[in-house]
Amino acid sequence: MIATAIQQLLNAAQLGAVYALIALGYTMVYGTIRLINFAHGDIFMLGGFVGFLLVSVIPGLPVAVMIPLAMFITAMIGVMIERVAYRKLRNAQRMSLVITALGVGIFLENLVRILVGPQARQIPAQLPNKVLKLGGGVVITEDKILVILISLALMVILWVFVNRTLIGTAMRAVADNRDAVQLMGVNLNLIIATTFAVGSALAAAGGIFFGQAYSIDPYMGIDLGWKAFIAAVIGGIGSIEGAVIGSFLLAGVEVLTVAYLSSNLKNGIAFGLLIILLLIRPNGIMGRAELKKV
Amino acid sequence: MKKSAWLLSGLLVLASLTGCQQNGVKIGVSAPISGDIAALGQSTKNAVLLAQEEINAKGGIDIGGKKQKVTFIIEDDENKPESAATVFQKMINQDKVVAIIGSQSSKCSNAGAPIAEAAGVPQISPWSTNPNVTKDKKFVFRACFIDPFQGKAVAGFARGKMKAQTAAVLYDVASDYNKGIAEVFRDEFTKAGGKIVGFETYNTNDKDFSAQLSKIKGASPDVLFLPNYFNDVPLQVQQARKLGMTCKFIGSDGWDNQELIKMGGKDMEGSFFSNHYSPDVDRPASKTFIANYTKKFNTQVDAAAALTYDSVYILVKAIEKAGKLDPKAIRDAIANTKDFDGATGAITFNGSGDPVKGAVMIRIDNGKFVFDSAVN
Repeated sequence: MIATAIQQLLNAAQLGAVYALIALGYTMVYGTIRLINFAHGDIFMLGGFVGFLLVSVIPGLPVAVMIPLAMFITAMIGVMIERVAYRKLRNAQRMSLVITALGVGIFLENLVRILVGPQARQIPAQLPNKVLKLGGGVVITEDKILVILISLALMVILWVFVNRTLIGTAMRAVADNRDAVQLMGVNLNLIIATTFAVGSALAAAGGIFFGQAYSIDPYMGIDLGWKAFIAAVIGGIGSIEGAVIGSFLLAGVEVLTVAYLSSNLKNGIAFGLLIILLLIRPNGIMGRAELKKV
Repeated sequence: MKKSAWLLSGLLVLASLTGCQQNGVKIGVSAPISGDIAALGQSTKNAVLLAQEEINAKGGIDIGGKKQKVTFIIEDDENKPESAATVFQKMINQDKVVAIIGSQSSKCSNAGAPIAEAAGVPQISPWSTNPNVTKDKKFVFRACFIDPFQGKAVAGFARGKMKAQTAAVLYDVASDYNKGIAEVFRDEFTKAGGKIVGFETYNTNDKDFSAQLSKIKGASPDVLFLPNYFNDVPLQVQQARKLGMTCKFIGSDGWDNQELIKMGGKDMEGSFFSNHYSPDVDRPASKTFIANYTKKFNTQVDAAAALTYDSVYILVKAIEKAGKLDPKAIRDAIANTKDFDGATGAITFNGSGDPVKGAVMIRIDNGKFVFDSAVN
């Protein structure tokens, strides 16, 4: 009984880690330019495919090189997307940006489908994946532990980056007041490009972990993107800690609903809770109310 | 005035006549070219293109003594019911097809069938096994067996040859096919004296099944029935093994595609599934089709491809028998199909849209689909 419960919590931790890696990108981009970047789920997908292609093109590429390299390439793609599709619209109506983001997402899905094909694939096992028995029937694979640990490490690095470095400070300043920041001589384009780069790199890590544990296909970003977006909203969109808390909370509720109620109710209960939570705290768990200047 | 009117109408008649001859026979195909089971859409397309080439090489379809070329209009329904409905509307209203082949998954055929039925356009679904597809419809047919039969065959196999006392089921609750056959299996397995110890669901596009599988693991079933498509099954089997589950796996015709082995690899070994036919069964019609298909596309045949090929020829034979491009006459000719010698076996319609056909059980052995036994 307890063994099953521990097993289910481990399952939730892995799912939550992947949600969190995507949710962070949503929350960071929203924080700086108030854009709900609906293409972000597809950047997560793209990251998985970049990892897959690296492994296929360079056989024997060590995983410690593959993951950072794929994160870097995806980060550059993220920066390019911002430059090409979003920058000109930065001061346009917010709706134009959101529609553009949706368009970029559809573009990426179809681009990958044409280039790589629509089938689902798995990234060949790169991380060690022996099954470890923890006693009492609880099992975990080595890659599961690594995925959870690497994700947590990336989140800590991100927190330090945003809260303890100059560029991170500038990011938070942009989030507070974009116009004032420019008056202080901060290079706004650089800060926003950095935000996209960091968010895309984290999504790429998520995509690779997902592609190893499960599978990747051109449309995988749609559903997971929505889940991660919802996790970011639960946590309070714009807040980094909130995105992480929201992700683990959503994964936990999903897994525990399956475990102790019924798998039929998984989405119903998870989203029902979301609605209740937003009724109580409209800005999410860690969110703060936005002050509107009149 | 009168003269020019005659001339004009004469021209119109001429134009419409030449138009007819140029267009030949137009047949619609609704297939999952993209989306989660896109690999199966490719098989569909291959089978249709092979048949089109063969038919046109012989001059076309013989309609009342005159040969007419055939054109297949292949549309992508993305394996989504709403897209299938649009595709059916488009093919019937814009392309004016005489008949429709498709779709493949039951949820898409269920969305398209009412549209074909209302328009009076004959439809043959190659691979949709859910009973509702043809139920209470005059113009809708299929080339495969139905799930009440298939589910019973699998449950009987699990109780009999696999000697399973207990079974669990994990299925996609958002898909008509998966849900339908899961319920049949549950009832039949219980009726045969077995016990269902787990009945868990997930939603299309879910990739993480560890929560459901951990729960099933707690009930330690002898077999786990996975009536899902080939894109999901490998993930389910891998995750089950990674959780330390030791039970056997059993499945249904949704497994039949090479992607299953490509992704599932070693973990799929020793599993069984029910299917429409096996290339190992020696039949001349089957052998010719498999040889031509593998030569042209350099890939293995799956049941969906073979059934699509059979559907096309059932339709073509019916058009020739009807002798005219009249939907009602074609419909009657399909309904009267007797002992059609197809790649997947003999096909006869006994007054309903569902043919009388047997099933085979396939074993996965060294990465190959091997014939195990036949069920009638």
